[in-house]
Amino acid sequence: MVISFKQIEEKLKTEAKRLLGESQVSIVLAYGKGYDENHPMPYVARNPSDVDNIVFNEYCNYNLARYLVRYPAGTKIAVAVKAADSRAVIQLIQEEKVKREDLVLLGIPVYGMKNPKTHEIIDGKTTGGLYNPVLYDILLGDEVHGQAIQSPYDVLAAYESMDKEARFAFWKKEFDKCIRCYACRKACPMCYCDPCFIDQTKPKWGDKSPQSHGNLMYHLTRFHHLAGRCIDCGECSRACPVDIPLYLFHKKVAKACEEMFGQAAGMSIEDKPALVNFRVDDSDKFLE
Amino acid sequence: MSFEPKILGIACNWCTYTGADLAGTTRLQYPQNLRVVRVMCSSRINPSFIFRAFQLGADGVLVGGCHPGDCHYNTGNLYARRRLAVTKKILEFSGLESGRFRVEWISASEGNKFAEVVTEFTEQIKKLGPQIKFKISQ
Amino acid sequence: MLKKTTIDKLPELAAALMEKGTLVAPIKEDAGFNFREITDAKQVDLIFHNTIISPKSAFFPQMEDFVRYQTGKSILEAAPVELNLKPTFLFGVRPCDVKSFQIMDIHFSGTGVVDPYWQKRREATTIFGFAFDMNEAADAAEFYHTLGIGAADPEGSDIFMVRKDDILMLKVITPKGEKLMAGLSFPTDASADEIKYFDDYIAKGHDYKTRYTCVDTEAIAREFESIFDNSDFWTKISDACLSCGVCTFVCPTCYCFDICDETLFSQGTRRRVWDACMFTDFTLEASGHNPRTKVYQRLRQKVCHKYSYHIRKYGVISCVGCGRCTRYCPVNIDIFSIVEEAVKAKWYKRL
Repeated sequence: MVISFKQIEEKLKTEAKRLLGESQVSIVLAYGKGYDENHPMPYVARNPSDVDNIVFNEYCNYNLARYLVRYPAGTKIAVAVKAADSRAVIQLIQEEKVKREDLVLLGIPVYGMKNPKTHEIIDGKTTGGLYNPVLYDILLGDEVHGQAIQSPYDVLAAYESMDKEARFAFWKKEFDKCIRCYACRKACPMCYCDPCFIDQTKPKWGDKSPQSHGNLMYHLTRFHHLAGRCIDCGECSRACPVDIPLYLFHKKVAKACEEMFGQAAGMSIEDKPALVNFRVDDSDKFLE
Repeated sequence: MSFEPKILGIACNWCTYTGADLAGTTRLQYPQNLRVVRVMCSSRINPSFIFRAFQLGADGVLVGGCHPGDCHYNTGNLYARRRLAVTKKILEFSGLESGRFRVEWISASEGNKFAEVVTEFTEQIKKLGPQIKFKISQ
Repeated sequence: MLKKTTIDKLPELAAALMEKGTLVAPIKEDAGFNFREITDAKQVDLIFHNTIISPKSAFFPQMEDFVRYQTGKSILEAAPVELNLKPTFLFGVRPCDVKSFQIMDIHFSGTGVVDPYWQKRREATTIFGFAFDMNEAADAAEFYHTLGIGAADPEGSDIFMVRKDDILMLKVITPKGEKLMAGLSFPTDASADEIKYFDDYIAKGHDYKTRYTCVDTEAIAREFESIFDNSDFWTKISDACLSCGVCTFVCPTCYCFDICDETLFSQGTRRRVWDACMFTDFTLEASGHNPRTKVYQRLRQKVCHKYSYHIRKYGVISCVGCGRCTRYCPVNIDIFSIVEEAVKAKWYKRL
C-alpha cells in the first residue's frame, strides 16, 4: 500500500473547509506552505478561505498538539494528527490541559515521513511503531495495514549495549554540545510549564550559561519531567540545531516506565499519567 | 588518608527521621558520613534535589520513607515509589553508578534497620570511590 | 597583491598561522560545521557551505567571564577577568558574516560606549574572508544578495580568499592583512590569468542571486511601523512560532545578553551569557510584570528590531541574509517571507 500525500492533503482541505464553514470549530491546526516544498510549516486556518494554503507532504512531521495549549480553554479546535500526535492529544486530555469535546481530531494514517534536514525516513525512530492515529474523529484516508511494525525500542540497541562508562561519555559529549536555545522544550507538546524549572531563580536549579553541569541538570530533569508522558514524536531531536539525540534517552525512559508501570503514555483517555498515579502493589524491586 | 564519602540522607519526618532518632537514643553506632535532611514526606523530594546533590559533590544519596501503606499522608510514599524508581533509572541511563542512589523504607521503630542501612550503604560507597561524574569541577 | 597556494598546502598554512597565534576555523561536527579553535592543522578544510553558529562567537562568545568573587568577602577582593589575547586568525568567514561584524561594531563600539571585550578581540583578530562557491546551487534559505551583499564581497575582510578548484587565492585587503601576509613565506604570487579570474569572480558575486532582487530599506521601515499595532497580522505570522531561541542564537547580528552571577559554594563569577528576545523571561520584570507575554509580541520584537527600529536608528538593516535562522528554525519560519508579507511590494521577485 502506498501513501498518497496528495489525497490526504485534499481530504484535509475538504474537512477543514467543512468544519470552518459550518462553524463547528474556530480554528484548524494543519500544515501550510513554507519557503519551499521541503520545508512546510504548521499553519492555522481561521476562515474557509484560508484552507487553500493547507498542504501535506512527507516533511510535515511537526507535532501540532504542541499548539493546543496556546489557545484559551473552550476554543473549538480541529487538529490534524498523525499517530504520535494523537497520543500527545490523549496525554494532554489526561492531564486536563484540553477537553475532548473541544477538539475535532483529523486523523492521518501515514508512514514514510522524512526529516527535512537529513531526508531520512523517521518511521522506526520516532513514530512509536504506530502508523494509524490512536484517537480520531475523522480519518483522512485508509488505515495503514501490512506495513512492517517496528518496535519503537529497536533503535535503542546500540545505546543499550554500552556500559555505564561509555553511556556517561556519550551523554557528556552530547550535552556539552547544547547551546541552551530550548528548542527541545518548546517543540515538545508536553512541555507547557510556565515558568519552566530551568528559568526559575528561587530556587535556581541550573545556571543560564551553557556549561556541562547546567546542561546536565536541564536535560536530566527534563527527561524526568517527561517520564511516563513522552509520546515519542521525536520533535525535540528534530528541533535541535546541534542534533543531540534526545529521543534515545526519552525512549529509554519510556521503555522503563512501560516495563515498571505497565502503561505506555497517551494510549487511552481513561488512563492516568503513570507518575501521578500508583498501585498499592507496585514492586519495590524497581528501587533496588 | 582513607576515603570518607559524603552521603546525603533525605529522610521523611514521620518514619525514617524518627527511626534515626531512635537509633541515636538507643546508642547504636553508625558511620558519620551521612548528613540528613528532613522532609515532611518522601513524596516531597524533587528528583532535582538528587541530581543537584550529586552535582554539588555528594558521593551517595540515601532516601528514607515510611513503608508503603504506612505513610502519614496515606499515599505520599506510593507516589514517591514510582517517582524515585524513575530517578534511579535516569541516573543509571546517564551512566552514573546505580549503587550511589538508594531508597529504603524505614519505620519509626526500626532504629536498628536505620543503622544497618547506613553502615551498609557507606561501605558500598567507599568501595565505589569518590563520585566525579556529576560533580561540578571548579 | 594576489597570492596563491594549493588546497593540499592548507595544513601548512594553518600550521604557520597557529605558530603566530590562535587559529579559529570551521570544523566538521556531528550536526554541521562550527568555528572552533584549531588544535591540529589537519582539521582545516574549506569544504563547507556555512557554519551553524555564526562567527560572532569569536568576538562575542556565548559565555564571557567578567569578574570572579567570593561570597562573604569584600567587593574589593573581587578580581576582574583579564583578557590575554594572542593574535587570532578567523579563517574562512563568508562575506555575509563579515558584513555582520560591521553591524555589530555599531553596538559594541560605534555609539561612543565601547565594549572592551569586543573591541580587544576585534583588534587582535585578522579576518580571512572566503567567497561562496558559486558553482553550487544557492541555498533556498539565504538572501544576502537581497541586502546588497555579494557572494564574493571582500569588504570587511583583512584577507579575502577565493577557491578555484585546487588553488586558493588570497588577496590582501587591509594593512593588517598585508602585515600578516608579509610574514608568510610560502604563498606565491598569482599569475595574470589568476588575477583576472579573481577579479571576475568578485564581480560575478554581485550577480549571484539568492531568492530576491532588491530592497528599499525606507519602505520596509515604514511598512513595519504602520502595522505595529495590527495584532491580527502578527498573530498570523507567529502561528507556527515555538518561541525558542534557535534563530537568535545562530544569528550573526543578534547581540542581546544577560549578566548572570553564578555562584558555586563561595566561588562566584559574574558573566555575560547570550539571551534571546524569544524567551518568555527576557522581558520579565522584577515586579512580576511581563510586557511581552504573547508569542506574537516576541516575534514582532525580533523582526521589527532588525527591519524597522534598526533602520530608523542606525540607517541599516540588522540582518545580513545568511539564512541561518530560516535554516535551523524547527518550524521553518522564514524571516524574509515575513518582510515580504509586511511590505507587499511587487519588486520582490522569487527567483
